[in-house]
Amino acid sequence: MKKTVNLTINGRSVTAEVEPRTHLADFLRDDQRLTGTHLGCEHGVCGACTVIMDGEPVRSCINFAVACDGTDVRTIEDFDDDELMAHLRQAFTEEHGLQCGYCTPGMLIMARDIIARLPDADESRIRLELSGNLCRCTGYVGIVRAIRRVLAERKEVASV
Amino acid sequence: MSTKGIGARLTRKEDGRYMRGRGNFVGDMAMSGLKEVAFLRSPVAHAKIEGIEIPDAIRARVFHNADMKGVRPMRPAASLPGFKQSDFPALAADKVRYVGEMIAACVADTRAEAEDLVEQIIVDFDELPVLANIVDAQKPGATLIHEEWGDNVFVVTSRDDDIDAVAKTAPVKVTRTYDMARQTMNPMEGAGCLAYWDERMGQLVLYSSTQAPHLIRTGLAEHLELEQRQVRVIAPDVGGGFGYKCIMQPEELAVAWLAIKLGHPVRWVQDRREHLVACANSRQHHYQVTAYADEKGRILATDVEVTVDVGAYSVWPFTAVLEASMAGGNLAGPYGLEVCRYKTFSVATNKPPFIPYRGVARAGVCFATELTVDAIAREIGREPHEVRFENLVTPDMMPYTNILNKHLDSGDYPECLRRAVDGIGLEAVRERQAKGEEDGRMVGVGIGMFTEQTAHGTSVFSGFGIPLIPGFEQAKCRVTPDGGLEIYIGVHSHGQGMETTMAQVANEILGIDPDLITVVHGDTGSSPYSTGSYASRAAVMAGGAISRTCKVLAERLGIIGAHLLQCGHHEVEVRDGKVVGPRGEVSIADVAKIWYLNPDQLPDDADPGGLEATGGYKPKVDTGSFTYSAHAAVVAVDVEIGAVELLDYVVVEDCGTMINPLVVEGQTFGGTAQGIGTGLYEESPYDDNGQPLASTFMDYIMPGATEVPDIRMVHMETPSPYTDHGIKGAGETAAIAPAAAIANAVNDALRGLGAEINETPMSPRRVLAALAGARKAAE
Repeated sequence: MKKTVNLTINGRSVTAEVEPRTHLADFLRDDQRLTGTHLGCEHGVCGACTVIMDGEPVRSCINFAVACDGTDVRTIEDFDDDELMAHLRQAFTEEHGLQCGYCTPGMLIMARDIIARLPDADESRIRLELSGNLCRCTGYVGIVRAIRRVLAERKEVASV
Repeated sequence: MSTKGIGARLTRKEDGRYMRGRGNFVGDMAMSGLKEVAFLRSPVAHAKIEGIEIPDAIRARVFHNADMKGVRPMRPAASLPGFKQSDFPALAADKVRYVGEMIAACVADTRAEAEDLVEQIIVDFDELPVLANIVDAQKPGATLIHEEWGDNVFVVTSRDDDIDAVAKTAPVKVTRTYDMARQTMNPMEGAGCLAYWDERMGQLVLYSSTQAPHLIRTGLAEHLELEQRQVRVIAPDVGGGFGYKCIMQPEELAVAWLAIKLGHPVRWVQDRREHLVACANSRQHHYQVTAYADEKGRILATDVEVTVDVGAYSVWPFTAVLEASMAGGNLAGPYGLEVCRYKTFSVATNKPPFIPYRGVARAGVCFATELTVDAIAREIGREPHEVRFENLVTPDMMPYTNILNKHLDSGDYPECLRRAVDGIGLEAVRERQAKGEEDGRMVGVGIGMFTEQTAHGTSVFSGFGIPLIPGFEQAKCRVTPDGGLEIYIGVHSHGQGMETTMAQVANEILGIDPDLITVVHGDTGSSPYSTGSYASRAAVMAGGAISRTCKVLAERLGIIGAHLLQCGHHEVEVRDGKVVGPRGEVSIADVAKIWYLNPDQLPDDADPGGLEATGGYKPKVDTGSFTYSAHAAVVAVDVEIGAVELLDYVVVEDCGTMINPLVVEGQTFGGTAQGIGTGLYEESPYDDNGQPLASTFMDYIMPGATEVPDIRMVHMETPSPYTDHGIKGAGETAAIAPAAAIANAVNDALRGLGAEINETPMSPRRVLAALAGARKAAE
């Protein structure tokens, strides 16, 4: 039996009829056609499906869409004009923080959260914070370097 | 020279769309009338199918083997003497041979609804004894997985050097048994495909997450009894492959058939559980090694038995024989081995079929040979790297054909080792070990070396006699009317960044800015034939083909340009996107405009082939260009709980001329991380009933950011004498050595305790077992 859900997606107010068993990632991808949110495991380990919900990173594959009533959800598609994300995109490409690009949307959303939340994070803290996001291509080297670089560059700007 | 050509550290053209979530993977596609497929997979490892019960209400949406009339089972041949072929139908016929084997396909509006259908099917199994390991499968009187075979061995290969004389006189003899665990490859995007019948073209169109679209086209046509022109395969964005996606998947065959049968688009997207349970198996090798050496550690002979647990079927087209026969052929590694006796067995078991995984066979071979080198070093009391120096092929021997007929083309292996020893700071580690650790952990350092045969071509693959043998690689290049360039190639990128690197090769020849170059790949409808991206071949083969073809275009541009510049065409040269003559220059864009739009200004001797050409290429020696590498690791082992931490990791690698060092480093870091997974974490265990025990990422441990250190890389760059631009392959190499380097480091750490570990992954359980074994032996 479908249920009605009301939520905000990328700043848009959305009302939809959803099967109770449909998880948020499928709802975003199939119903809303926001396919930047990827599915890598569908059991909450790999982090490819990470989105921002009410300001915090969550795994959309282990949240049922019907349980997200009243929430504010942001997917990777909503960060095109985001200044911090633009900075991260620049660092990710220069440090070669992505190869196949499949884990990348979840990785970027998590990276942005780390930078916003932990401006003083060192390498080991960054790695700890990334432990919920799997990448099979890069060995994390470029990803960690990109995050460190953005943190350092922002600190430099802040101190000027 | 160009600053964006070969050797430039260019950032990747493809990154933008991925970082904005605008990649286009199979699962992202939308299409009118599209329905989703879920497969009923066998819950048992070995059973006869006595019957399949499908409720009438859903019968029209459920398909099994008996429905697929005219579809051939995959039955790849190989020419190795005694090789036994297996029938691998897309949907099981009368028998299932592994847990996860597909029995029926269910079609519905959504995947969830298709899975609802799966649950309504009842299969009547008559269970058979299960062969869950190589020992049981080789016992006399064992149940037969393929009844007509008479035993459970796909093929045996061997080399029979006389080693008795050496064995009698050699002062040092070392005997070891090594085991590498079964693994799955786990690209973050699993497999997936979408198919429909295009009435206008009279074609089956299959979008698939594949490394080898042309290969899939050939395979589908042959197995569905279509003409090749009736099949088009398109690989969109592919979220990693690592070898798993270089074969024809049974799911591709089933989905293609469903599309023709049903007349509407259908799609299957693999979920992680399917991947872990039923697909992408690799790595499980068992070695028994005896090595004979002199007092300095020079290896005089090796005597090796390799047994590979290849699972129930041969995959198409690479079969089940590639792994063990390549293991045998690579036993010499970077060393000048003179006597080698080996026997390899490819044993069928009730597990999913083996598929070539990054560094095919070599991760196992490297593990066995490199641990043996260290065992010899411990036996004679020398530093392991000193023993390696005694054995390495030296630059003055290059090119060098070793006893196993590997033609090592170029390089300085001892220098590579020296840099690894320096890079990891061996002396400092030894000092640290002498002092001991405050936390009581044991520190160790280890090295792993290997050679990787890359872009091995016709002469090598024809020796296996498999259905598809790579030959000349081709590229089609077209200057557009505004001076841009389109490159059409048959290999496909699954993360390597070919949209950038292949544009750099063209830039090297024509000087056209990579921003003005589009690489079109992954579509059989537009590109020349290619067997695909595997065997670390794309950079060498497609790179060479693009280079040759762009030279043809340069010649043609030069003729027109010279006419415009009023000089002889031997006086001009094409560079920086221009035709440059003695007294002036004209841009490629202006030349192109004249060819396409103002042909009234063309010279009489303009080549009628125009500004589009297809060229082919194969290196002058096609046995492969050998990339080589030394990996060095420092570990800390907690002997109380068995945990191993990587403290430092250095890779020294020589992959010939690098097209893009940034990309080479990315391949190296990623490969190393996968090798760290092999060494320390990843394992697909099976119980005695053939039931897989790792079916989620909770029990299959993938290395994360906390497990992989900040890998340090040192480049060497010795061009191959045989390939255009001196390029060697780099894609697979780094996955080969980490398990060996880490194991040698762990054994170095545990040496004082008399413990040694010779299997992967070196999980806490196995480390503690090795320590317990040593304590018991000491008592």
